[in-house]
Amino acid sequence: MTTKHRLITDSFKVVKKARRGGKREKRSTPPPPQKEAETDTVRQEELQKLRQFDLDWRFGPCTGISRLQRWERAQLHGLNPPEEIRELLLKTHIDPEYKLSLWSEYPL
Amino acid sequence: MFSDLSAQKEGSSLLCRPASEDQGPVFERMSLAYSPCSEHYRVGERSFSRQYAHIYAARLMQMRPLLTERAQQKWGSDVLIRKLCDLQTGEQCCIVGTLFKRMELQPSILREISEEHNLMPQPARVKYISESDELILEDELQRIKLDGKIDRDKCVTGSVIAVYGAERNDGKFTVEDFCTADLPLQSARPALSSDRFVLLASGLGLGSIHADSMLGLQLLVDMVTGQLGDQGEQSGAATISRVLLAGNLLSQNTQDKDATSKPKYLTKKTQAGSVEAIRLLDELLLQLVASVPVDVMPGQYDPTNYTIPQQPLHRCMFPLSAVYPTLKLASNPYQANIDGVRFLGTSGQNVCDIQRYSSMDSHLEILEETLRLRHLAPTAPDTLGCYPFYQKDPFILEECPHVYFSGNAPTFESKLIKGANGQEVLLVTIPDFSSTQTACLVNLRTLECEPVSFSAFSADDDEESEMNISH
Repeated sequence: MTTKHRLITDSFKVVKKARRGGKREKRSTPPPPQKEAETDTVRQEELQKLRQFDLDWRFGPCTGISRLQRWERAQLHGLNPPEEIRELLLKTHIDPEYKLSLWSEYPL
Repeated sequence: MFSDLSAQKEGSSLLCRPASEDQGPVFERMSLAYSPCSEHYRVGERSFSRQYAHIYAARLMQMRPLLTERAQQKWGSDVLIRKLCDLQTGEQCCIVGTLFKRMELQPSILREISEEHNLMPQPARVKYISESDELILEDELQRIKLDGKIDRDKCVTGSVIAVYGAERNDGKFTVEDFCTADLPLQSARPALSSDRFVLLASGLGLGSIHADSMLGLQLLVDMVTGQLGDQGEQSGAATISRVLLAGNLLSQNTQDKDATSKPKYLTKKTQAGSVEAIRLLDELLLQLVASVPVDVMPGQYDPTNYTIPQQPLHRCMFPLSAVYPTLKLASNPYQANIDGVRFLGTSGQNVCDIQRYSSMDSHLEILEETLRLRHLAPTAPDTLGCYPFYQKDPFILEECPHVYFSGNAPTFESKLIKGANGQEVLLVTIPDFSSTQTACLVNLRTLECEPVSFSAFSADDDEESEMNISH
């Protein structure tokens, strides 16, 4: 009967620890709330623009190549892709979320 | 022509005393200005993660301005050019798009998988066209079935054309007329002062089970290197200033499919059939390159990548001949300027593929058709293996060649065609050497072409002897 008094958390201490850790992290992050929100909306706007570029059928399919490669192809064939997109892509070329197309996470 | 140059003259030098003790006259081989222009057939990074949608998109992007211009020339500058999405029923207009031929008999990987359902696999055919084929025109967004004055069986998937007509109530487009991009502009050919020749040969077929072409091949090498005939013929041979081998240097037999199906322990000690054949080729090339510049293109059965553009064979396979600077290992398709004459051609895969998927049978006719379409291989990537390009379609002809050839044809054919803007193109189908024992010589001065046969028997005799064997 002694077993009944044991809690299930006794055998799964690791999970509990991890949870605590998560909470601690959350507590430590909040300080710059406004600035973060601002850059976040800018980022979201930029990504929205890039997604619109991805969905523009005139510049051909967007899967399997980077956004910049697609922009350059459109430029090569005289389709006048928006200059603003290129600037944005050159500025942020390290970030995969900017670099790769909307569908890049899906398997081909 | 070459045959006039090397014709035996009276009092042949072979039938008289040698003039002196020393070697006799030396015939200097003409060397020509040569510049390869095959850069865009080189594949640098090899990424196969892309889909083929890009190559079709790039093809249409590149061809649309050309075809718009051609359509305006043909049907007047005020012709209405529509995208399929703006199409109105009953309105006369012109549409630019990529052809797709839906073919019942076309082998499909999905149907091959159905073998699991115990269905019989489809037998290989010579032609895959049938009565139930349908022609469909696609642009960036939509597709429409074509009907009317367009030869369904002659068209192939992947060719970009402009059609003129109207959409009917049943949703099909009735074609009244259509046009292709036609020949691109050509740069002027320099006037040459003397006859000089380029020898074209293909399908040497080394390593085949019956080595019947070896005598012919050795005669070919001896003829080119000037070790055959009398002084007249030798001086003729000196005017051959370049040799171009257009693919299938090795025989199909060297591609041993057993090795993949047999267990490892049985094939452990066997050597690939192509090893011996490549050694033979190296020795043959050694004789040639010591005397004349040689361009070697890979073909369908040669040890390089399968998908077009095929990259040059690797130098390390030719330890004897690769040390000579006269050996040029080229890509397939091949493009080069030889003394100002632009050569463009393939080892014949593109032509054979179109032959299978259209009603056209003559290699020469297909060759002309691809020139009119301004595209080397329209059926790539549909039925012909092709690298997934995304930026540009390298098979679109940007400049009109002077000599346009394809290798491994059943027979030798040639034809000089003239374009609307004064272009002059010599079309040549280079016969398969192992079966025809024939090569051909192109005169760079006059753009004439003639076959050179090394067979002791005529084609009729061959057929007869084959008949006898079968009896």
